[in-house]
Amino acid sequence: KLGSLAPKGSPWHKALEDLAVEWAKLSAGKVRLRIYPGGVAGDEPDMVRKMRIGQLHAAALTGAGLARIAQEVQALQMPMMFRSDAELDHVRSRLMPKLNAALEAKGVHVLNWADAGWVYFFTQKPVVSPDDLKPLKLFAWVGETAHIGAWRAAGYNPVPLPATEIHTGLSSGLINAVPTTPIAALSYQWFGLAKHMTDVKWAPLVGATVITKRGWRRVPAALRDKLRDAAREMGRKLQPRIRKLDSEAITIMKKHGLKVHEVPPPVEDAWVEGARQGYARLIDKVVPGAMVAEVERLRDAYRAAQGK
Amino acid sequence: MSSVTAARLPWWRRAEDVFAAAVLAVMVILPVFDLGLRWAFQSSVPGGTSYVQNLTLWAAFLGAMIAAREGGHLRLSSGAFAEKWVGARFFGVITAMLSVAVCTGLAWASYDFLIAEMGSPVRLGGWLPPWVFIVVLPFAFAIIALRFALARPAAVERAVALGGAAVAAAFAQLPLAIVEVLVWPAVLVLVLAAALGLPIFIVIGGVALVLFTAADVPVAAIQVEAYRIVVSPAIPTIPLFVLAGLLLAAGRAGERLMDLFQAWFGWAPGGLAIVVILSCAFFSTFTGASGVTILALGGLVLPMLIKSGYPERFSLGLVTSSGSIGLLFPPSLAVILYAVVAHVPIPDLFKAGIVPGLILVAAVCAFGIVVGIRSKAARPPFRWRAALAATWRAKWEIGMPLVAIGGIFGGYMTLMEAAACTAFYVFCTQTLIHREVLASRDLPEIFLKSVTLIGGVFAILGVAMGLTNYLVDAEVPAHAAAWVEANVSSRLLFLLALNIFLLAVGCVMDIYSATVVVVPLILPIGAVFGIHPLHLGMIFLVNLQLGYLTPPVGMNLFLSAYRFERPFAEVCGAVLPFFAVMVLVVLLVTYVPALSLLMAPGQ
Ligand code: NA
Ligand code: NA
Repeated sequence: KLGSLAPKGSPWHKALEDLAVEWAKLSAGKVRLRIYPGGVAGDEPDMVRKMRIGQLHAAALTGAGLARIAQEVQALQMPMMFRSDAELDHVRSRLMPKLNAALEAKGVHVLNWADAGWVYFFTQKPVVSPDDLKPLKLFAWVGETAHIGAWRAAGYNPVPLPATEIHTGLSSGLINAVPTTPIAALSYQWFGLAKHMTDVKWAPLVGATVITKRGWRRVPAALRDKLRDAAREMGRKLQPRIRKLDSEAITIMKKHGLKVHEVPPPVEDAWVEGARQGYARLIDKVVPGAMVAEVERLRDAYRAAQGK
Repeated sequence: MSSVTAARLPWWRRAEDVFAAAVLAVMVILPVFDLGLRWAFQSSVPGGTSYVQNLTLWAAFLGAMIAAREGGHLRLSSGAFAEKWVGARFFGVITAMLSVAVCTGLAWASYDFLIAEMGSPVRLGGWLPPWVFIVVLPFAFAIIALRFALARPAAVERAVALGGAAVAAAFAQLPLAIVEVLVWPAVLVLVLAAALGLPIFIVIGGVALVLFTAADVPVAAIQVEAYRIVVSPAIPTIPLFVLAGLLLAAGRAGERLMDLFQAWFGWAPGGLAIVVILSCAFFSTFTGASGVTILALGGLVLPMLIKSGYPERFSLGLVTSSGSIGLLFPPSLAVILYAVVAHVPIPDLFKAGIVPGLILVAAVCAFGIVVGIRSKAARPPFRWRAALAATWRAKWEIGMPLVAIGGIFGGYMTLMEAAACTAFYVFCTQTLIHREVLASRDLPEIFLKSVTLIGGVFAILGVAMGLTNYLVDAEVPAHAAAWVEANVSSRLLFLLALNIFLLAVGCVMDIYSATVVVVPLILPIGAVFGIHPLHLGMIFLVNLQLGYLTPPVGMNLFLSAYRFERPFAEVCGAVLPFFAVMVLVVLLVTYVPALSLLMAPGQ
């Protein structure tokens, strides 16, 4: 039994369905993967709880859910850490053994990694520099106390709200800026109420398909390697498709009136500067400091090798 | 319970009441304080909202404990029939034993969930692990089990009832093959016992336990879902609005509202009937499905109607059927719950409900006018001076909906803050300005009533979520959608089938469990036929509104029979014409989607 937030018929759901077919074939029908798409098994925190009690065996999660299992994952999602997909890919591939081990220690086995897109700012007024964003009322996840503290420390004005109230909040004026992925902005129609997008990759939203150790043990030992390889293959194929979807979403939203504001390199440095002011509020509270340091080291080594 | 008897209560009972009341009070104060901080300093209490969400869990299940103590858990029938049939003693012992068995199962499920959640790295407000709140679940269900047993008068009866715990333990240990055979007999026993007066939450909880056990899924799955619904962001509004409604009912706000509507509309044909309907609509928006409207206003308005010359039967029917007529208007709990379960924006659903809600009120008013003219009921003349004076007297009550609605739609408050502000506003106006509710004398009783009511509602909500979790786990909604898609060809036919189905659901379920269990079933099917989610919501709510008036499970029927000391059958007969009028409204709302989508955004 595998839970996922991906809506029925989405590329993510189709990839999982293909995986179910593949697994059934590889195991001669012994392993049957039942998929609960579109959040019918609950939001990510609910799915994580259901894995803990043993109702669900597996889930396709984003960083939000993964960090509820092992906080180390959060290190990949630090704001303004990476400038590009290539940087993220490089660091993640080097870090993978450690991340997998951290998750393994918390009782889940990673089947594959694939991300869910980059988080950008969608705002009701044009935002290019951090100073443009500071006066705006910025959506922040209710309950993420450390993140709210980090926004404040960096001089922003977060309004803690449940995600279900984003739409209302934007139309009533309770908030006027939302950090989110283009796919989410399009599918929840938030971009219709916040028509400006700042073209700066604030943070990646990583994702992974995980299975509980209990669930994994029920798979015959001889089959495990084969099934894992099939899952990895799925992740490899899915990754470019999700990234294409991200840029497609921006294209569609532009056609419907979204204005994308370019951010020149010196201003991008100001965003990095601002984000780092919030790090102290996150480190050793919701993410281990050693892990963040490791990510920075790998990224800097990569940047040096690229000559940038 | 008055302060006189409270003094004689054992200390732990008083401590229980005080603690539950304190939890509820913090739930009011914290969001109001948080809002003040945001307005004044652009700041907030770190983790404030998560505390309130998780405190709802405490309020809910401490409330369920207290409801068990006060005999406040909702039942489908009084059990009088069964007592006559098999003897009160035997019947009492059997229901107590079943209740103990189910609560033991739920306590065990809660314990499993608690242990699993201890592995979570999440910290509320940056420091508090969630298990600190979850621990109330196993504790509350263990106490509830004990209370069901200890409520029996004789020691032998108590011992037999406690044997229910052994039954539960034995059932959990049986081999799967035997459990599979026992599933349907066990479900049948529970459903039968439901008709004879077993509390609703025991029935639903028992069915969920049996089904999960037979499916070899850990029963903790029930409590995972209970936790999910109770701590979800919009749910704290339920206890907060219940508290506001009961604070309002304790003073003379009802009289002031009646005076207000009487002064403005009393001169019209059927004027008093309209006055009753409008007052009930106002009250029921806050207290909705709880039936508080009938208890609070019923004693006031029924004698007035009869004295003015309305037929007795009509008057009884009018008061009974108006007890939930404000169900579609903000801040109705039923609408909020539907929106949460169906993932539609709450304000949008409220906007969608404006026209159907007004039609429902107008239709019943029209019926009242016809009867008023025919029975030549008294009509006091209209006087400007009196109307303005009544308006002035009711100014604080008129201001109440403005706090909630203005706060939300004006972008000043979140939903939870609006609910807390409403409760705080009602508290201030009733205790400090009108001074009808005395803090020392009345507050303990109002808080006790609130937590009992909240506990009764949440006990049902929690297990209903558990049962839904089973249905989703067994992929029932997906299969049902596929079946309907293959077998029902036209949209019209589907809508008709939906009406009949929901009417049947309304006969046997209360609106809260119906929303939680049935909405996930109809959502995918509605999507297949391209029915707008807001329209589907209206169809569901207007249909289920009828459920208040249909036997065997019709909350308004029970409360009315109880409040006015009339036979159940007489009340059923009295509401029949009103029922017919409301069926017409249901059909109108179902087949004219534009009514629901008129005020909704983006149309
Ligand atoms: Na209501
Ligand atoms: Na009913």
